[in-house]
Amino acid sequence: MATRTTVTPGRPRAVDGSLSRLLEAFGRVPVAAVIRRGEELPRALASQVPVVFFLRAPAFHLGPLVWAVQARGKLAFVHIDLIAGLGKDRAGIAFLAREIGVNGIITSHSGLVAAARAEKVIAVQRLLLYDDLALPSALSALDHARPDIVEVLPGVIFPLVVNEIRSRLPLPIIVGGFVTEPAHRDAALQRGALAISTSTTELWP
Amino acid sequence: MRTPGVLGVMLPAVRDGASLNQALDLGYRQVLLERGSLLALVGPLAGAARRGIAIFVNLDAVEGLAPDSAALAFLATDLGFSGVLSVKPHLLKDASRFRLRTIQRIHALDSTGLETGLHSLVSPAPYAIAIAPGVAIPQVMPIIRSITNTPIWGTGFISSAEQAGAVLHAGAALVSSARLEVWRDFSRTPVS
Repeated sequence: MATRTTVTPGRPRAVDGSLSRLLEAFGRVPVAAVIRRGEELPRALASQVPVVFFLRAPAFHLGPLVWAVQARGKLAFVHIDLIAGLGKDRAGIAFLAREIGVNGIITSHSGLVAAARAEKVIAVQRLLLYDDLALPSALSALDHARPDIVEVLPGVIFPLVVNEIRSRLPLPIIVGGFVTEPAHRDAALQRGALAISTSTTELWP
Repeated sequence: MRTPGVLGVMLPAVRDGASLNQALDLGYRQVLLERGSLLALVGPLAGAARRGIAIFVNLDAVEGLAPDSAALAFLATDLGFSGVLSVKPHLLKDASRFRLRTIQRIHALDSTGLETGLHSLVSPAPYAIAIAPGVAIPQVMPIIRSITNTPIWGTGFISSAEQAGAVLHAGAALVSSARLEVWRDFSRTPVS
């Protein structure tokens, strides 16, 4: 079953080769390292993970961190919602794309997905599963925004909603949030997740 | 506070008069308006509050109410509701001035977000902390208890009695579900 290739979005891509590079990299090692503090970065750089997510990055001191990741042949993503000092808007994304050269951004906001597309960086949109009553409207918003990748949080909810998500969104899925044990990772991947994202260094191969 | 507090471990999450009546028919004396609008609030829920039912309102999800003092005064003084839930610390601080019980909502989506939420606990201490999704509580209770001993409520994605039981077993004081089947299962257990 070739789930990882069949879920590739069918519409024309604005992004350069990064998206196919990302999908191919996750095909080899399906883990993104989530960096919450700068001191965790060396370990991610030395690991086999092909992708690094910066969660609380300092916007104006981010360049060297991103470039260190890319110098190792890895892709660097920045969570724009949590970044201090940067506007959560098109200009903020333009800064990350052009000045820093990030491969992609992570956001919960549909409006920023279009901005990422305009700046030709990969858009990872977070699907925040805190309330089952909010799920239908969250899926509609994602279906409308059409990010390149969906990051579903927390991992413990993913198995409960995977069928509903897949029937609505033909998009690759990363599972994150409290993915701290090998069993959590395996549960997500067995249910068709493209990859997991985790700050638990023991899960970085 | 003269308004009624919570009894027992199940808080039915209702959205309108029909679901309110289903919960009351099962014998519940407490409900949470988790989704819904101001009209449900001034109609059937206000009537229930007058009959001594404890009403809690999720201020982050109910439409038609502004997140301000005028709304809180209305809920507390005019309607006699028991408490409010919100992620917003300033709103909860304000609510406590109106003698509403305050339940601080914290999202358990990833460790960074959970820890940020737990480090922004309001003062005075909330009546309870509502963790969403509640289903994550068995996994995150050690993190929560390393920071606070405030009673924990579980809300969100609790769709079976087994899940509700697991959340309570992990140390939650109360669970809230929007599912009639779960209300039914729990209405048979004696209320303390």
